[in-house]
Amino acid sequence: MLTRCLIAENRKLHGSIIWLAFFIIPIFPAIMGTFNYMQNIDILKNGWFDLWTQHTLFYALFFFGPIMGLYAAYLWRLEHLGHNWNMILSAPVRPIYLFFAKFVVVVKMAVLTQLWVFVLFCICGRFFAQLPGFPPVQILFWLLRGVIGGLAIIVLELLLAMIIRSFAAPILIALFGGVVGMGMTSQGYGLLFPYSLMLMGMNSNRTEDIISGQLPLFLLSVILFSAIFLLLSNRFLTRHDIHT
Amino acid sequence: MDHVIETNLLTKAYGSRTVVNKISLAVPKGSIYGFIGPNGAGKSTTMKLLLGLIHPSAGSIRLLGEEMSQSNRLALLRQIGSLIESPSRYDHLTAQENLQIVCDLKGVTYSDIDRVLEIVQLTKDRKRKVKEFSLGMHQRLGIAQALLGSPKLLILDEPTNGLDPAGIQEMRSLIREMPRLCGATVLISSHLLSELEQIVDQVGIINHGKLLFQGDLSALQRHSRGDYVLRVLHPNKACETLLSQGITVRAKGQLLQIPPVREEALAALVHELAVQDAGIVGLTQQTKSLEDIFLSLTSQKEAG
Repeated sequence: MLTRCLIAENRKLHGSIIWLAFFIIPIFPAIMGTFNYMQNIDILKNGWFDLWTQHTLFYALFFFGPIMGLYAAYLWRLEHLGHNWNMILSAPVRPIYLFFAKFVVVVKMAVLTQLWVFVLFCICGRFFAQLPGFPPVQILFWLLRGVIGGLAIIVLELLLAMIIRSFAAPILIALFGGVVGMGMTSQGYGLLFPYSLMLMGMNSNRTEDIISGQLPLFLLSVILFSAIFLLLSNRFLTRHDIHT
Repeated sequence: MDHVIETNLLTKAYGSRTVVNKISLAVPKGSIYGFIGPNGAGKSTTMKLLLGLIHPSAGSIRLLGEEMSQSNRLALLRQIGSLIESPSRYDHLTAQENLQIVCDLKGVTYSDIDRVLEIVQLTKDRKRKVKEFSLGMHQRLGIAQALLGSPKLLILDEPTNGLDPAGIQEMRSLIREMPRLCGATVLISSHLLSELEQIVDQVGIINHGKLLFQGDLSALQRHSRGDYVLRVLHPNKACETLLSQGITVRAKGQLLQIPPVREEALAALVHELAVQDAGIVGLTQQTKSLEDIFLSLTSQKEAG
């Protein structure tokens, strides 16, 4: 049943305009980060790692959350438009599977986005910052760990986009969440706030590993937040009347 | 199983506003049931309740012989095709991709797409993006989605909405053929009785959430028999005769209007009038169109 929902959800992305956003949006933080790095090249001496701090300063803070919000809002907008809710909810599948299929699709897009961000990072490092060699594999690991940290955000953004019919609202909430998340992380409360988990996973604006030593707690926090938001989503889908 | 849909005092209220009020629908197997009422009467809400899209405040639903519950809802939905409010569609995808999505969700093989496209005559447009479709094509695509998997019950909410006369005629022909093509029972709603009277055999009339009439279309048509109108040369004599027989009369010059009576009683009245030398010149029966009956049923409710 879930597989069928996944196939249907993936099909909705064929020829979709969302892929344009997927390619274009990550270019902005890459440009901003590289520009910032080059402006401060005199004090930034750690090569690829320092370029990473500048890239993630913008990407993790202002872009990752809203991009996840955008993906979530887009996938639910497809159902909010017209009366598609009627069709998906009258299909013989569990409503939570419809939600979970969207979750898997956003996670897939998040992984692809991170890989695209890594490609952009390499291009900026080699051709603009003139850094030698290739970036440390650790950075790719941080990017993918950022997806794990971002899982709770993805579930939350899908929940918000499902409830709120406005396309922009989930994206703005994610932007606000990212800024608050940065504050929470710097105060040492990152594990208590879903938007901080992604920043921590990605080792945003740091050269030393911020999660070092507390990986189990990090994973536990991700699982707990994701489970809570998933349960809330299931409750909404099964207990509330959906107004189409 | 005589009835494919049976509801018992089905009710849906939003706060103090009751949208569906103790409706007991009975849709016979193999019928085309016209669910008719003005806009906002509660048709779509009732249909959403039948599909479990919204939760009833009270009452029960029996579909395809089974009491609907959370545990068997999905099994029942596998046997139901529906089009509620307007056809669902993903505009950036082709007709075929849209149908594939429904196949995916319903667990139906893609080979069924050819069959339903043929039925709704969209075969040659299968590769076109849905955003290029006309309103009529959207509606037909919606019907095709509902037909996937050969459901035993089709629930169609105003499928002719927004169509031009030719489109309505086309849709009517399509729906009329459903029981023959798919063996399905059809519940179809409209706010216009005239739109459905040519294709339905059962009718339910709803207004303000209440079911005002339910039964054979022929039973509704019996309601269409109106008053008799007599034209007489001597109205006073005729009035006296009729009143003496306990018949209420409305007189306007030589025209006397009396309520409908059985044919035998009418023959006896005419005989008596002839005996009393009332001078009968003519006798006709007024007929009400189904639309008039619908309006009178729904306006009676409003007055009440």
